[in-house]
This record gives sequence, structure tokens and C-alpha cells, in this order.
Amino acid sequence: MPAREGTYGLLAEFNTPSELVHATEQARHAGYRRMECYTPYPVEEAAEALHFHKTRVPMVCLIGGLMGVTTAFLMETWINVWAYPLNIAGRPLFSWPAFIIPAYEWTILFAGFSAALGMIALNGLPQLYHPVFNAPNFRNGATTDKFFLCIEAVDPKFSLAETRTFLEQFPAVSVVEVDH
Amino acid sequence: MSSGHEHNGEAGGHHGHYGPRVLPASLAAPEILSAWRMRALIVFVVATILSAFFAFSHEGKNHILRAYLLGYMICFSFAGGGLAMLMLQYVSGGKWGLLLRRPLEAMTRTIWLVGLMFVPIIFLWKHLYQWAAFPTASAVAQALSNHAVTLEQAMTLNAKRAMLNPGAAIFQTFLIFAIIGLFAFLLNKWSLQRDADPERGTEPSFDRWRVKFENLSGIGILIYVILLTDGAIVWIKSLDITWYSSIWGLQFLVGQGYAVLALGILTVILLSRFEPMKTMLRATEQHDLGKLAFAFVMLNIYLCFAEFLIIWSGNVPDEIPWYLNRIHGGWWYVCSLDFICHWLIPFCLLLSRDLKRNKQKMIWLTCFMIFARCLDMFWLIEPNFADAAGNLHIAGNIGILAYITVPVAVISLWAAYYMTQLQARPLLNVNDPHVEEMLEPEHAH
Repeated sequence: MPAREGTYGLLAEFNTPSELVHATEQARHAGYRRMECYTPYPVEEAAEALHFHKTRVPMVCLIGGLMGVTTAFLMETWINVWAYPLNIAGRPLFSWPAFIIPAYEWTILFAGFSAALGMIALNGLPQLYHPVFNAPNFRNGATTDKFFLCIEAVDPKFSLAETRTFLEQFPAVSVVEVDH
Repeated sequence: MSSGHEHNGEAGGHHGHYGPRVLPASLAAPEILSAWRMRALIVFVVATILSAFFAFSHEGKNHILRAYLLGYMICFSFAGGGLAMLMLQYVSGGKWGLLLRRPLEAMTRTIWLVGLMFVPIIFLWKHLYQWAAFPTASAVAQALSNHAVTLEQAMTLNAKRAMLNPGAAIFQTFLIFAIIGLFAFLLNKWSLQRDADPERGTEPSFDRWRVKFENLSGIGILIYVILLTDGAIVWIKSLDITWYSSIWGLQFLVGQGYAVLALGILTVILLSRFEPMKTMLRATEQHDLGKLAFAFVMLNIYLCFAEFLIIWSGNVPDEIPWYLNRIHGGWWYVCSLDFICHWLIPFCLLLSRDLKRNKQKMIWLTCFMIFARCLDMFWLIEPNFADAAGNLHIAGNIGILAYITVPVAVISLWAAYYMTQLQARPLLNVNDPHVEEMLEPEHAH
């Protein structure tokens, strides 16, 4: 857990997505890893420049689906075989073909819930506080027409002076220090 | 994941790789297709020679004929299903459709060959269909007294004679091929005219052709579904004269979509080793096609299981023997394998995003899916016959192995002709607004 005080990182503001992507690529090239881009709309090149490809949402979704199918199938088996056995047209109590459809529905239900909730959880939401909002230009620009790159202080390569010099070589509108 | 940003490495400037790529100078199919066709023909010859040996075994000729029907039905899946998929991509639009368009057109242009493949079946069909062996009421009565058919079969044969008799079957088959052929002819002709349009590349040209194709394809899909349902009943379902199922046509339709997508993906991936497909096939579209194939895998098991569940729930003596013949007496293994190969394996593998974007793995998977279609067809066809119903055996029945060699021969012959047709046209339909989009660089999502 990073310290909740002091500098969170350095926030560079750009006017165009190309400048942001270029700066991000250079920052990655220079060895920075703990950084994040903030844009008013999805910029896929930025995600690419950050090498952000994989998420764990598919795995969460798969586990949810498997839990759904197991839960439903075992529940139906328990109900039909032990809890409330009924003779239906002389069929065996464990009539698995009849269990498939509800099990399938539960798979979808659980997979859908885990995908949606897993996505929200892995995004760290709901989040009531984020340090970058301490920068006034971020508050005004990030959801309208500005593009931001934040190199975080937890990055081992981070140094207030050097990183600032590094970011200032780009045509950034401003480079500001963001506190926790 | 490397495939997603290969283009990054070769770009000189920082922003250079965000620009569009260039359409290859030649859109002609690569020369390598001739070599592949030669390989297909060699496989055809070898498989035919191997099949010929089975003719001398007990029941061998019958098995060759049944296996030939299997091969024919798979080839029909590609030609007819290819037409359905071609019409589907015209009405739905999308870049995946443009990518598959020329391979699908090549599949539809094989329809006359598939029609020709049916001719030998006509001459030998008294060994396949009871309605062909006993075409009249008196022949049925005779067969009943000789115990060649059961009472139920005799009554059904008489009741279904209007649709299932040699003359009607020839008429229906002819009608199916004539109408499919007409649609295939028009769509193929227009596709070339579209590229030759003097106004090509302009908005009015795009719109005019789009509307023209949509109007024919919309009605075409409806007609195709009706024709396919009829064909599936006459060619396959009537092998067991007593059986009824209302989901049968749809099941074949989805099975065809499954096979056609597998073959289409296989074709574009193999061709992407060479220009022009190397430029045209992006991981994005391959991923989309993989997702579509996944949907067909799911829909396929959904329909097959729905049919089983309804019949299992109904528990009616008219219907259940069809399944009992396919479950008892060794068929349980084939039935389970069918489920595993046809659904479980493609389903589990296609869940993976990385696999859908991986060329090499998709080649293996699509080949496996085509094999799974053949296995499913084997499970549908062979248990219809008295010597095999509820009694799968190889001892003293070596001819059953013809189910391996004959479909290989038939399908490789078809594949050779398919490759000839692939070579006949440029691999891309250029008068389409999606061309520009396909040349845009993609992003690794």
C-alpha cells in the first residue's frame, strides 16, 4: 500500500491525443511503468502505448459461469433426488437431461453478473477519492478536451526533478505535481 | 499478443504507424493455390483407391454408398451453406463479410459439382432409402409379407409417398439445385459487375449495389431455409422413414453455418500467408469471425439438445427408437464423442480470446470443426440401417471403415474444385466502403 501522503505523481497535460500517445510511448521506452493516461474519450492507441492488454475480467466471468452451472446442477440434483423426490412419468429421480436447461440459465446469469461486477471491482470502483482530482486543470479538462499522462511516484524510476525534466521535453501544456 | 502490433515495429516516425496501410497491387489469389489443389487431388486419388478395397468386404458396397452420402452432404453444406452465409453477410454488412465474400462466392460456384455428385445416388438409392426400394403400394405390401419392412414402416411409407417417392425426390432435388444455382449465379455475376462499375468508389455506387444485393439476399435466405429443410428431409431424414422432427431443417442450417465458418476462417488464414490476404486479414476480423463461429457452436448444441430434450420428455414410442438406435449397442461412444468433438472442445477453446486471435491454433481448430461435422453426420446416417441400428460393430464389418476414406475422397475432390474457383477471381471485392476501414491499422484491445 503506497503512503497516503506526499506526492502522488506528476501530471502532464496535452492538447491532442497524438501528443499524449507519443509522450506515453517515450515514457515507457524510458523505463516508466507505473503511469496512467486520462482522456475524455477512449483512445485505443493510448491503451496500446501503456501495453494495457490483458484484464482479469474473462477469468472472473469464467469462474462465475462455472459456479453457476455447478450450483444449479447440484441444487436440482439435491431437490429431485433427496429433498423432494417426485415420480414424473416413471423417470429416474436423477433425470439429468431435465436439469440441463436451468443449469444453462444459471451459467449465463452468474457469468453475466460476475462479468459486470468483476469489471467494476477490478476497476477499483466505487472510488470516492482519487488524487489526480487535486489538480485543478485535470478537474476542468479531463472530461472535456484535454489529455493527461500521470507518472506515479510509486514507479521505482520516479524522481521529482528528473521526471519533471523528462515530461517537459514534450509539448505539454503544463506539468504539475499532484499530492495525495 | 504480438500479432496485434506487428506494424509498430516497422514504422519509422512516431506517428507513421497510425496511418492507413496500402492495398496490395495485385489482388489475385496466390499461386500456391495450384500446389494445394494438386495435394487435394493426390489425397482424392489415394482415398479413392483405399475406398475401393472396402467394396470387396461384407456389406462394403453399402457402406461406401452411405459414406458417399455423408461426403455429399458435407460438400452440400459448403456450397449451399456458403450461399446462405454469403446472403447473410450482404444483409448484415460488416467487415467480416467483406473478408469472407470471395471465398464464400467460390463455395457457391461449386454448386453444380455438388448437384452432379447427387446423380450416382439416384442410380443406387434403392440401397439407401426404403421409399426408393419399395416405391409403390404393392411393393410395400410385398415387402411387408417378406418381413423386409415392419408394419409401422409400411404404413409410413404409404402415408408419405406423395413427398417421398423416386420421381418426387428427383423433382425436389432438381428444384433445390436449380433455385440455389440461380441465386449463386446472380450474386456472383453482380459481384464482378460491382467491381467493374464505372462509378466505383463513390457513395451512389456503394448504395446502389448494397441495396441491390440486400434485396436479393433477404428473400434468398428465406427461400434457402425452405429448400434446405426439404433437402435435409429427402436426403437424410427419410433414411428412417418413420421418424418425425420439426427442428431438423434448422439444425442442418446451423450445422452448415458451423461448417462454412470453419472453412471460411481456415481459407482466409491459410491465404493470409501470402498477399493480398496478408494485408487484408487483421486480428480484429479474425477475432470477429471466431466469435461468430462460437455463436454457431452454441446454437448448434442448443438445437440438437432441444430436439433430444423434447423427444426425451415426450417419451413417445414413435420417436424414441431413433435415439435408442443411436445410443445403445456401442453407439454411446460415438454419441459421446460427437458431443465432445462437436460442442465441448470447440466451445471451451473458442472461449479464449487469445486462441481466436491466434492463426496457427485457429487452423487446427477449424479443421477439427470440419471433422466434427463429419462425425455428427456419421452418427445421423449409419444407425438408420438395420444392420447398424443399436449395434455398432467393426468385427466382421470392416466395410464401416469406408466412412473414413470415402468422405475424405469426396471432400478433397470438392476442395480441389473450390480452390480452382478461388483462383478465378481477385480475393477482394474492392467496390465496397469497408475496404478503406480494413486498411486502417488495428489496435490491440
